Amino acid sequence: MTPDTKTPIREFLENLKQSPRHIRESAMRNGKAPETDRERSQSTFHNLFLHMQSVRTDRRSLRFAYTFGLGLILTASFVVLTITGILLMVYYKPGVELAYNSVKDIHFVVPAGRFIRNIHRWSAHLMVLAVFLHMARVFYTGSYKRPREFNWLIGLALLVFTLGLSFTGYLLPWDQLAYWAVTIGANIASSPREVTDAIGITAWFDPGGFQKQLLLGANYVGQESLIRFYVLHVAVLPLLISAFMGLHFWRVRKDGGLSRDESKPAPPARIGDRDVEVFAPTKTYGLMAVVRGRTPVVGRAPEGSVTSWPNLMWAELAAFMFTIAVTLVLSYFFDAPLKEMANPAIPENPAKAPWYFLGLQELVSYSAFMGGVGIPSIVLIGLGLIPYLDRDPRGVGVWFGGPAGRRTFWQSLIYGLTSVLALLAVTVNLGWLRTWFPTIPQIAIIILNPATVIVAMYSAWSLWVLRRTGSIRMSAVALFTCFLAGFVVLTAMGSIFRGPNWHFYWWPSQWPTH
Amino acid sequence: MSGDPSRPFKWVTVVCSVVTVGFLVAAAVRENVSADWRGHQAVFRGILQIKAKDDAARATARNLPIEIRQVVVPALHTVDRCVTCHLGIDDPRMTDQPNPHRVHPKQLLAIHRVEKFGCTVCHQGQGAALNFEEAKAEDYFWDYPLLPAKFTEATCASCHDPRALPKGSVEKLVLGMQLFEQKGCNGCHKLNGKGGQLGPALDNEGLKTKHQFVRASLKGSQTNWNWFAEHFRDPAGIVAGSLMPMPALSQPQVEALTVFMLSLRQRDLPAEYLAPDKIDEQYARLHPPAPDGAALYHRYCAACHDTGLHTRWDKKFARFVPGVRNAAFIRTEDDECLAENIREGRPGTRMPGWGPKAGGLSDAEVTALVAYLRTSAPAMALPVAPPRGEATRGAALFAQECAGCHGIDGKGLIAPALANPVFQQAATDAFISQTIRAGRENTPMPAFGRAGVSESQIGDLLAYIRKWQPQARSQRP
Repeated sequence: MTPDTKTPIREFLENLKQSPRHIRESAMRNGKAPETDRERSQSTFHNLFLHMQSVRTDRRSLRFAYTFGLGLILTASFVVLTITGILLMVYYKPGVELAYNSVKDIHFVVPAGRFIRNIHRWSAHLMVLAVFLHMARVFYTGSYKRPREFNWLIGLALLVFTLGLSFTGYLLPWDQLAYWAVTIGANIASSPREVTDAIGITAWFDPGGFQKQLLLGANYVGQESLIRFYVLHVAVLPLLISAFMGLHFWRVRKDGGLSRDESKPAPPARIGDRDVEVFAPTKTYGLMAVVRGRTPVVGRAPEGSVTSWPNLMWAELAAFMFTIAVTLVLSYFFDAPLKEMANPAIPENPAKAPWYFLGLQELVSYSAFMGGVGIPSIVLIGLGLIPYLDRDPRGVGVWFGGPAGRRTFWQSLIYGLTSVLALLAVTVNLGWLRTWFPTIPQIAIIILNPATVIVAMYSAWSLWVLRRTGSIRMSAVALFTCFLAGFVVLTAMGSIFRGPNWHFYWWPSQWPTH
Repeated sequence: MSGDPSRPFKWVTVVCSVVTVGFLVAAAVRENVSADWRGHQAVFRGILQIKAKDDAARATARNLPIEIRQVVVPALHTVDRCVTCHLGIDDPRMTDQPNPHRVHPKQLLAIHRVEKFGCTVCHQGQGAALNFEEAKAEDYFWDYPLLPAKFTEATCASCHDPRALPKGSVEKLVLGMQLFEQKGCNGCHKLNGKGGQLGPALDNEGLKTKHQFVRASLKGSQTNWNWFAEHFRDPAGIVAGSLMPMPALSQPQVEALTVFMLSLRQRDLPAEYLAPDKIDEQYARLHPPAPDGAALYHRYCAACHDTGLHTRWDKKFARFVPGVRNAAFIRTEDDECLAENIREGRPGTRMPGWGPKAGGLSDAEVTALVAYLRTSAPAMALPVAPPRGEATRGAALFAQECAGCHGIDGKGLIAPALANPVFQQAATDAFISQTIRAGRENTPMPAFGRAGVSESQIGDLLAYIRKWQPQARSQRP
C-alpha cells in the first residue's frame, strides 16, 4: 500500500465503513472467539469477569445449599439500591419543608416514581435481611477460619455499614414514621447517659449527649439531622461500603475462593482413560518472588472444578435476576410506607425504630445503656473475636462442622428460644426489679436486667458446652445460635407484640387507638 | 461430568428474567397508561366535543391534551392536582354533567378563582394525589382529609366573618356559632383568650389532626368530624371522665356545632386572601363594643349556674352550684364583693377566675356582669355584725350546726368552702352574720336566726370562721 493509491478522502471513507468492526474489536480486546491456545489464554487476561473471578471454580462452591447465593443477593441488592437511589436523588429535596412533598411527588407524579421508591425500600429490607443470613451462613460453615479471619472482620464492617445505610435512609422521607424512629435511634445513641446519670457525672462527662449531637447535629431531629443523614446516606456510606465490598471480594479470591471441605479429596482428574494424581503445589509462583503458603492457590488442583466461564457466570446471573425478580414482585404489590408529615408536636405511640433495631429497642426498654451500648458492643466484639478464639482448622466448609455441631445447634436453638421466651414471659407478667422494689437505685437495674440476664444465661450455656465437648468451635456454635435465637425473638417482640407505651399486646388490633 | 453444571442456574435466570420483564411492563402500564385520571380526561374530551358549538371549539376539544394538571398557589403553600380529574370545574357549561366533570356548584369559583385559591384551602384533602381515594385521604396517612360536603362551609370562616356572608350561605356555621354562645360552652372552654379552664381551649380545633383526639372509644369512622359528632352526643362516652354535660342536641345542631369546631383555625393567611368583613371581625375583637351583661352571663356563667335563680346540685361536680342570681344572695352582697368573686374565682372549687389574666374578661365586662346580677335585687343595708366572740365556743357550734354541709375544716362538702381565701377576702363580717341569721332563700342554707341562734352565738361563729382568714392580705372591713 503506497500513499498515492490511497487518497485522504478514500481513507476516511474506508475507516468510516470499518468503524463498527473496530469499535467492537476495541471493546472486546480479543475481537473474536478464541481459537488457538494463545488466544484462549489471552481471553482470560483480557476479560473483566475472569479478572475478578478465578478461571476455574470448585463445583462445591456452586452448590446452592452451601451459600444460598446470599453474598450475591447482597451485591445485587446493593446494585439495585444504587441505581434506584440515584434515580430518587433526581427528585428528592433534603430540606424539612421540601422533603416530604418531594417524596409525595415521587409517589404521585414522577413517572414510575412510586415503583422506583418501592424497589428501593424493598431492596433495602432484603439487603439487611440477607446480611444477617450471610453472616449466619459463613459462621455455621466455619468459613471464618484461617486464612479467612480478616475477611470476617471486613464482613462485620459491611454489616455495620449496611445497617447505617438503612437507618440513615429511614429519616429522608421526613414523615412521622421517619421522624420518631430516628428520635428513638438518637435516644439510643444517648443511652450512656443512663450510667453517667446514675453515678452523677453527666455534667462533666457526657459521651451519650455527645454521640446524640454528633448524630443529629442538634439536640433534636431537625434540618441539621436531615442534611447529615442525607450526606451519610448518599455519599459517605455508599463510598465506604463500595470500598469495603471491593476489599471483601478481593480477599475472598485471594484467600482461596469460597471455603470448602479440604479434608475430603476431590475426585482425581482423568486424562485419557487413566486417573491421574495431580501434583498439588505447596509453593506458588507469585508475581515478584517464590512465596510459601496458600495465597493465590485455588483449591488443590483442577480436579472437581469447572470453568468459571460460563458456569459461575450463570450462577451469579441467576442470583442477580432472582434478587431483582423478588424485589419487583414485592414492589408491585406493596407500597413503601409514607405516613403523615413529620410533626414534633404529635409523638407516635408506640414510636418504633426500624425493624432490625427493635430487638435492641426491646432491650433499651429494660435498660437504655445495656440495650443501646452494652449488649451491642459485647455482641460486636464477640463476633469479631470468633475467628481468633476458634483456631481449630477442622470442620471448614461443612455445615455446623458435622453431626456433632448439628446436634449442638439444635440443642442451643431450643435452649436459646426457651430461655428468652421464659424471661420475656416473666418480664411481661410480673415486671422487673423496679416493679418489685420501687426505690431500687438505677445502677442496680443497669447491672441486673432481662438483657444482662439473657446474656449471662447464654454465656453459661456456651461455657457448659465448652466443658462438655472440649471444643471451642462447639461452644461458639452454641453461643452464636443462642444469640441468633434471642435476636429473632426480641425483634419479633419489639415489632409485633409491643404497642402504645411499649405495653405487651398479642395482636396490633388490640391496641387502643390513642 | 454429567450434564451441564450450570443448567439449574440457567433455568433460574430465565424464569426470574421473565418475571422481571413481566413486572416491569405491568408496573409501567399501571403507572403510566391505566391511571384513572387518563380515563376521566378522555371522557371529558368527549363531553367537550359534544358541547362544542363550532369547528374551532371542536378542534380545541379534539386536541385537548391528556396530561397532569395542577394549581400551584405559592402564597398558600399548596399544589392541588384535583383539576386533573375535575376538568370542568370552572366551565359553566358543565352543570348537567356527573362528577368529576361537573362545574363547581353555586358559581363559587366566579368569586374564588381556581388559580388564586386552588382547592384544598377550602376542601382540605391531599391535593398532590392523582386518584380519588388518596385525594380523599381518610384512610391514608394525611393530616387533613377531604371535608365532606356538609361540613365544607367550616373553612369559609378562615377568610370571612360568617355573619357578614349572604344569608343562607353558611347556615350551619352561623347556627353553630350561636349554639356555642347559647349553650355556655365558653364557661369551660377558652376561645380567643376568653373562657373557663375546665376544658381545653378550642382556638385551633379545626386544625387538629385525628391523632390529637382521644379515640380509644370512638367507633366507626376515625375522622375528626365523626369524633365531634359522637362527642357531642355523649362526651364522657368518648373521653372517659369528661365533666362536659350532655347538651341534648338535635342532629342538625350536632352538625352545626361540628362545622363550627372545624371552622376554628388560626391560620396565618396572606392579607390579600382575607375578606374585608374578616378584617372588621378581627378589629371588633380588639375593640369590643360596650359589653352586654345578660349575654356575658349566658356565654360564660350559665353552663354551671344555669338561670342562677336557684342553687343547683351538679352530679358531675358532686356539690351544689350556688344560685348567683338568687335575690336573697344578691341582696346581701355588695358590688365590690361580687366583682371580686368573679375576678378571682373560688380556688379549690370548679369556679375559675374570670379577671383579665385568668378568664380573659376585661374590667368593663366584669362590671357589666355585676350590673346584670344586680338586676335581681338591690343591695340592702346589712345589719351591723355582732362583735366577734369566743372562737372555741364558735368551734363547738360550727361542728354541731354547720360542719354537716360546710365541712368540719371549712373546706366545703356540699356547701361552699368557708376556709376559701377568696371567700375570706371578699366576704364582710356583716355579710357572713346576715347569712347565718337570715339563711338563703331557695337554697338549703337555713335561717339560723329564726332557729334560736343568738347574736352572741353568731359572734362566736364569726370568730371561729375568721380563723381561716389568710394572714398576708388585709381583710375588707
